[in-house]
Amino acid sequence: MATGNLKKDINSALNNDNLTGALGRFGEAYLPAREKAYEGKDFEAIREKVSQCKRNAADNLEKLAEQFATQAVKNGAKVFRAKTGEEAKEYIAKIARDHNVKTIIKSKSMASEEIHLNDYLMKHAGIEEVAETDLGEWIIQLCGQRPSHMVMPAIHMTRGEVAEIFSKETNQNLEPDIAKLVKVARENLRNKFLKAEMGISGANIAIAESGTLVMCTNEGNGRLTTTVPPVHVVLVGLEKLVEKFEDVGPILEALPRSATGQKLTSYVTMMTGPTPAIDLDGNIVEQKEMHIVLMDNGRTEMRNDPMFKQALQCIRCASCLNVCPVFQQVGGHVYGHVYTGGIGTILTAFLNSFEKAGELQNLCLRCERCKTYCPGKIDLPGLIAELRRRTVKKEGLPMSQKLILEKVLTNRKLFHSLIRTASVAQKPFVKGNVIRHLPLFFSGLTEGRSLPAVASTPLRDKVGRAVPTGKPKAKVGYYAGCLGDFVYPEQGEAAYKVLNKMGMEVIFPMEQTCCGIPATQMGAPEVAVTLAKQNIEAFEKEGLDYIVSLCPTCVEVLKHHYVDQLKDDPAWKARAEKFAAKVIDFPTFVTKYGQDLKFKNLGTKVTYHDSCHMKRVLNVWKEPRELLNKAGVELVEMKGCDDCCGFGGSYSVKMPEISKAILEKKINNTTATNAAVLALDCPGCKMQIAGGIDAKGKNIAVKHTVELLADALK
Amino acid sequence: MSVQAKTSYDALYKEFKGKAEALSAEVYRVPNMEEAHQLITKIIGELNVNKVVYAPSELVDAVDVKKIATATGVVMTSENLRQNAADAGLGISQLDYAVAEIGALAGNATSIESRMVSILTPIHMAVVRTSNLLPNLMETIATYNNKLGELPRYLTFVSGPSRTSDIERVLTIGVHGPGRLIIVFID
Ligand code: SF4
Repeated sequence: MATGNLKKDINSALNNDNLTGALGRFGEAYLPAREKAYEGKDFEAIREKVSQCKRNAADNLEKLAEQFATQAVKNGAKVFRAKTGEEAKEYIAKIARDHNVKTIIKSKSMASEEIHLNDYLMKHAGIEEVAETDLGEWIIQLCGQRPSHMVMPAIHMTRGEVAEIFSKETNQNLEPDIAKLVKVARENLRNKFLKAEMGISGANIAIAESGTLVMCTNEGNGRLTTTVPPVHVVLVGLEKLVEKFEDVGPILEALPRSATGQKLTSYVTMMTGPTPAIDLDGNIVEQKEMHIVLMDNGRTEMRNDPMFKQALQCIRCASCLNVCPVFQQVGGHVYGHVYTGGIGTILTAFLNSFEKAGELQNLCLRCERCKTYCPGKIDLPGLIAELRRRTVKKEGLPMSQKLILEKVLTNRKLFHSLIRTASVAQKPFVKGNVIRHLPLFFSGLTEGRSLPAVASTPLRDKVGRAVPTGKPKAKVGYYAGCLGDFVYPEQGEAAYKVLNKMGMEVIFPMEQTCCGIPATQMGAPEVAVTLAKQNIEAFEKEGLDYIVSLCPTCVEVLKHHYVDQLKDDPAWKARAEKFAAKVIDFPTFVTKYGQDLKFKNLGTKVTYHDSCHMKRVLNVWKEPRELLNKAGVELVEMKGCDDCCGFGGSYSVKMPEISKAILEKKINNTTATNAAVLALDCPGCKMQIAGGIDAKGKNIAVKHTVELLADALK
Repeated sequence: MSVQAKTSYDALYKEFKGKAEALSAEVYRVPNMEEAHQLITKIIGELNVNKVVYAPSELVDAVDVKKIATATGVVMTSENLRQNAADAGLGISQLDYAVAEIGALAGNATSIESRMVSILTPIHMAVVRTSNLLPNLMETIATYNNKLGELPRYLTFVSGPSRTSDIERVLTIGVHGPGRLIIVFID
């Protein structure tokens, strides 16, 4: 659960119009820019190469670190290996003292932010000024904030705010004119570059084979920092290592494209040893001093963790932030640390504090969007879920949740009878705290979203075995899922109608129960395993050819999670595999086997919402459109059709403010199409969006694709 | 340059020019040294600058910048660059390769002169050999990789002038580095 502080930060971010405005605009501009930059490129092939060389580097981290150090020393640099941030700071402070340095210029280095280097140097090395030279960083530095984005640190600020900050710094009255403000920064920082005695920079890549450091910048500050002062310190984290010079190819192809939609940054600098410099008197120093601080600070620990090792594949492009619906609403500051967004949560756990990260993982919606964009091929949502699991393991679940999960959810009869009770006595039950968090539809949170009532008769009491006219083509097991069973039985009935028309015999195994995703999400994997076994057993009995469900998340769980959850138990694993092989999502099933279906023309204007797990996990998005077209609707695409609706299972309960803000955007995009119906393929999304539309009093029907299909059946 | 070579460079040049111009670079091409000299003289004359700094190199020397100084009346120097580059109007240096696919230049910038003239001045002019046009970044990396033992200490890639989008994501040209990049290809 989020603590008071995180909640407070979230609320103030959501109420900051500058922030949401700037982020929203950026979020929209980012995707087409990225797309254009990748034009003619095979993103999958590039990211395969990137992840391969980064994985290789992670596997051989220590060896490459040694090789890099040896090579860099051979090139003429001094190399210091810092185990901790403390060691790195002390070493850099010593260099500064030895050279009697008073002013330092710095070019973007997240690693130095990570260890709060500036502060340390001012306090312990007698430094008068450490000037950040990246425009965004400088803005942030002047107003004493933290960066809110790894690539664009000041993205949360407006030109007006920057004008104010610069006016104060320069004692002038500056207008909020961006070109002029940039000029002011140029003039002010120019002097600092020319009189600095030491430059500190980071690096994007460190090549073991040649001892080369690669640095990407757009403004040119990186080149100034590494050129003008006679002493240059490079602070670089171990995760920047790659084995070969060749490895920079794919990384440079991916990094700028994914970060800012550029084919390459304006400047890329590759330094292999110290170069000449000019001292303050104008004399040429043939070989300046170059210090490389190779910092560990938690990275080896990360690499030794079999799951989190993967996070070392990150090239810090920040595209996971750029596409994150939560980040787009709240910005980077709520993440409370240097590294923000999904990857930030993971890095924070290892480089800063596991406790803090344990709280931050609550921000993730599990919409899976970041995963499809990550050029390092990192399973970010998977790692965040793992963080969640470990946090729960450490701290334990709150008693009430534990009770529900272990006692109620695993006891199907009790669980189902409680839901039935709820349908009779909904009001008092909804207020009751006991099951508030688990079956989501019990949630008392109705702000901005009307919740559907629990149906008076669940699907399981309405359908059973349905035999088609004629010889059945196959035997299909119907998996309803909690919402499909107890809240939206009409969807199931529609599905039965369509499946029967396809010539399928449909069976509803009565012992089926919750798929287990809420338990997994809340960090109770044992409960999920129990549920997996119950479901497998329930369906095995029936001798089925297929198992069909209308819920993409249930399909994902049934098809992919069970095998994984049961992998350590050979007998159960085999059963899970057999079971999983039969599971198929509804749109795919109908597209494949329902080709003879005949429809009348519905003629309604319909827009379609892609559910996150349908599109990105199951990769199904063409099929529902194809079916809708067959049913003769007029399909109009909305802006951001595959943007998350903000539901995210228990997320809508845990983070109602963020969920609501994301929903709002979805509803606006929906209304903009003027469609009469919003079609979708997930009961959870339906609950979220229909609830939001209802609360807003809009007149748009929200329907599962299957309902439209059933209506159009001839 | 053989006719065959010329046609293949024509295509690469065309691609480069399109890509680099999209990044706000200015791109020219001349068939020989003599015309390079004339073009650069003309550009400097029009730029209206008083001081030009340069980094001596094979191509820059061949273009004969001293003579350009006399013709245009500008101060032309490669000395004391910490001061001179800081207040010069233009810096001239040579870069080794041009990467057609992305409109970027690459080259050895180990000499302090080469770096000072290309980053402190408000305008940077890069001269490059047309025959050193490479199709894409991967081939450029491979070219350096083939001679890894001779990797320059300071290898630089430049595409377009200095830029930032740090304030409200509005693209602004010329932050700490040059606000204009003029590229002259010499066949
Ligand atoms: S996790 Fe992936 S998408 Fe996110 S910053 Fe790292 S490389 Fe980029």
